[in-house]
This record gives sequence, C-alpha cells and structure tokens, in this order.
Amino acid sequence: MKRKMEKIAAGVGIVILSLLTQSSLRAQTVATISGTITDSSRQVVPHASVSIEDVDTGQSIETRTDSAGVYTEPNLAPGNYTVSVAAEGLSTKTVKSKLTGATEQSIDLALNAAPPQQGNPANQLPAAPQPNAPNAPSNPPSSLSLQDLGFTSAQTQGSAQRQALLNKRTHMLKVHQTLGLITAVPMFATLISGPQAKAKGKNGQPITEPTSANLDLHIALGGLTTGLYFTTAYYAMFAPKIPGVKPKGAIRLHRDLEWIHGPGMIATPILGIMAYKQENAGEKVHGIASAHAPVAYATAIAYGAAIVAVSWPIHWKFWER
Amino acid sequence: MIKTMNKKILIAFLLFALPMFAQADTQWLLEQSTLSYHMSHPMHEVDGVSHAAKGKGICHAGQCNFLIAVPVKSFDSGDSNRDLHMIQTTRGGQFPMVIVRTQFPEAATASPTIYADLEVQFAGQTAHYSHVPFQRVTQGNEVRITGTIPATCSDFKIERPSFLTVPIKNEIPVKVDMTWRKM
Repeated sequence: MKRKMEKIAAGVGIVILSLLTQSSLRAQTVATISGTITDSSRQVVPHASVSIEDVDTGQSIETRTDSAGVYTEPNLAPGNYTVSVAAEGLSTKTVKSKLTGATEQSIDLALNAAPPQQGNPANQLPAAPQPNAPNAPSNPPSSLSLQDLGFTSAQTQGSAQRQALLNKRTHMLKVHQTLGLITAVPMFATLISGPQAKAKGKNGQPITEPTSANLDLHIALGGLTTGLYFTTAYYAMFAPKIPGVKPKGAIRLHRDLEWIHGPGMIATPILGIMAYKQENAGEKVHGIASAHAPVAYATAIAYGAAIVAVSWPIHWKFWER
Repeated sequence: MIKTMNKKILIAFLLFALPMFAQADTQWLLEQSTLSYHMSHPMHEVDGVSHAAKGKGICHAGQCNFLIAVPVKSFDSGDSNRDLHMIQTTRGGQFPMVIVRTQFPEAATASPTIYADLEVQFAGQTAHYSHVPFQRVTQGNEVRITGTIPATCSDFKIERPSFLTVPIKNEIPVKVDMTWRKM
C-alpha cells in the first residue's frame, strides 16, 4: 500500500514538474506581434478586428486595434501564424508570419476599400505595402489596371446572380450524388432478391420455399429503387445549366450512361409487372416480359458504371492519362 | 549675343531632353504563361491548368510594378463538372479574376532568382506572400520566370471541397511558368 502511494506521488510529481518546466520554457520564449492598421489613404483604422491564428495548432487569438490603429499581441509561442485584419468598409487582409524565439514582429497593414458586392474588387489596384518583406517597395504603386491588360469589363465583372446559380447547381448535384449512392443499396438488394421472387415454380406450382414473401420483398425493393432513382434523376436534370460549358472528362461518360440506365429504369418495372401477370395467369414467362431480368442487370451495371465514372480515383482513370 | 544664344539652346535642350530621360521606363509584356494549381486528396490528385493569364510590368525609377491576372474559369482540370465546382467553391461567379500584384527593385530583374512579394486577390480575399523565389532564365529578348506560389485554401477562406466526406488538403500550390518580353 505504501509502495503504491509512493508510486502515485512520484507520478503526480513528474506531471507537475513537467508542466512547470513547459510553462517555464514557454515563458522564456514568448514573442510579440504588433502593428499599425491604416487605410489606403494612410489614415489609422481604430477598432479593426485582428485575428492571430497559430497555423500549427489552429488556435486563434482575437484582438482589436486601439484609437491609434495599433494592436499588440504578446505571449505568443514561436511558430507559424496567420494574421488577418478586418474592418468595416475595408477589405480583409491576411499575412503569414513566422516567429522564431523571443522576437517582436511588427506587421503594419494598409487595408483597401472593400470591393462592391457585385463585381471584381480590383479593376484598379490600390497600394499594397508589404509587411516585413525583405525587399519591400517604398515608391507609389503601379497604376496598371485590368483594362490595361486587355480584359473587358464583361470578363472582370462578377455577378452575385451567377454565383447564386453556381451555388444552386452545386447544392442540387450534391443531393443528386448522395441520393444516387443511397439508391444503389436497394437496387443491389432488388437484384439479389430477384431470382428468388418467382410467383410459380418450374412445375407451375406456387413456390413455398422460399415463400411468396420473397416476391413481396422484391416488389417493395424495386418500388423503392424506382422512386429513389427518379428523385435522384430530378436533381441532375433540373440543376441549373451553365451556358457555354461543354461536358468534358469523366462527366461525359457519366452522362452517356444515362442513355442505358434511364430507359432501363423505365423498362424494368414494366417488364416485371408483365412477368408477374403472366406467372399469376399460370403461364410461363414469355415474350418481351422474359427480358425483365437481363434488362434489370444491364440497368444496374450501367448505373454502377456511372457512379464509378465520377468516383474512381482520378489518377487511375485511363481516359485522363 | 552668342553666349545668350548658347544658353537658350542649352535650356531648350534640357527642357526637351530631361522629360525624355525621365520617361525612360521599361515595360514588360507577358507573352505566354502556364499556371497550374495542384489539389491533393487521398483518392484524387488534380491539376488545373490555365494559359489565359495576361500581364504587364512597368519599371520606373528603379522600381518595377507588375500586374498579372487570369480568369478563374480558364483553369482546366480535364473535367468540366469539377471545374464548375471549383468556380463555385472559389466564388468565381462573383469574383471571376485572380489578380497578382508584385513590386521589386529593377535590379532584381537581372538576378537568376527573383524574390517577389506577392499580393494575390482571389475569391474576394487578399493574401500576401513574402519573399517567394522565382527562377529567371533569359532566352534572347524574352525572360522565362518559373516558381511556385504557396497558396492555401484558408488564405482565401475557401471551404475545402470534399470527396467521400474527406476534404482536400489545405495546400493548393500554384506553379507559375511565364515568358515575359521587354517592350
């Protein structure tokens, strides 16, 4: 008992000592980041939000500039940091900084006027002083503009509407993707349950083993698959189209396979109903109804291939080599 | 009389000649370029390439200012669906251009390695990269510049696209290969 207590005490002692040592080491190597935030007319920006993020740990410290536009953040451990500054009406600026040892890093930033909500922020580029840059310029900025480069305003002007269209497209295609993967589960189960779902045996007698419950299960799974499939298709068909974009790459194969599994998903249930009716009438499944199973398999294979086309690791895709 | 004439001629010469010397700026034009971003995922390695960048540079009073811009939609990764998703993720509908500004002393244009401070505007954000090395090779009247901009998604507050719930790596280094011509 005594020995056990001694071990625990020793363990606690080691932990405390370790913490004290770390704390002591940390205290010896703290660094400071400070600076002055100005706008493009060199006026100081009070109350600007300053976020200092430790890149390695992901922890960030928030502070603000004082009335003189100055911020200071002491007690920083050596490491890589990202300093982001934001202020109302001004664009956000982010710079990276590396603190080595107990240093005082000065990062002064000039914030440009915030860009309009619609449009590109930099048709005419303002000054951009570089903090702590070894070859930082001191003369006025270039007056070069995007128009000088030969870009038209149609090319450089953004549109919130266009972005909203892209956002809606991405959202709908993400739903399409998720539903598509979910649909594959009952589709696979329907294929497995199919061979055991005959209403009548080879001798024309009702199947008792496996029971008719297999047929009910097969029909239920088929119905679920059909419902999910067409819901999935809806999200792809009605996702906004982006004018001027020609399908290229894996998406082309994905789309081409629609011409197999799309008609297949319409034909399979129809053929299944026909086969079911023929069997129930005491007939052997014949005519076009006998194609139910092959059409179902072809549909499922095309569907699986369509998923693989857009999911397979790209560096393994022979058509992208 | 002759002395007065000489003075007048000298003043006239200086008046005409000085502005000519003062305006002796050097201009650079981007002739051709290949910019490519690299996106890394445990199951995907993607490179998007653009040749659509345009750029100009002006060197004045020993200081050079360069502006390079490229449409976001010009990057081609070999899959139109992925490219559209990239445009959406990087807010390219609203901010359709990637704009890079850099300034450095004119003397640096002669060294084999140029260390540039870059201001990159992309996805509605501005990020700065200090001391980025670019290799310079002179080919006749043209200068070829190659290097890599160590961009990350978080620099531009871009939500990392994910595949099978696993997001891509934060790093999206942009390789630069540009040929500039002195005008």
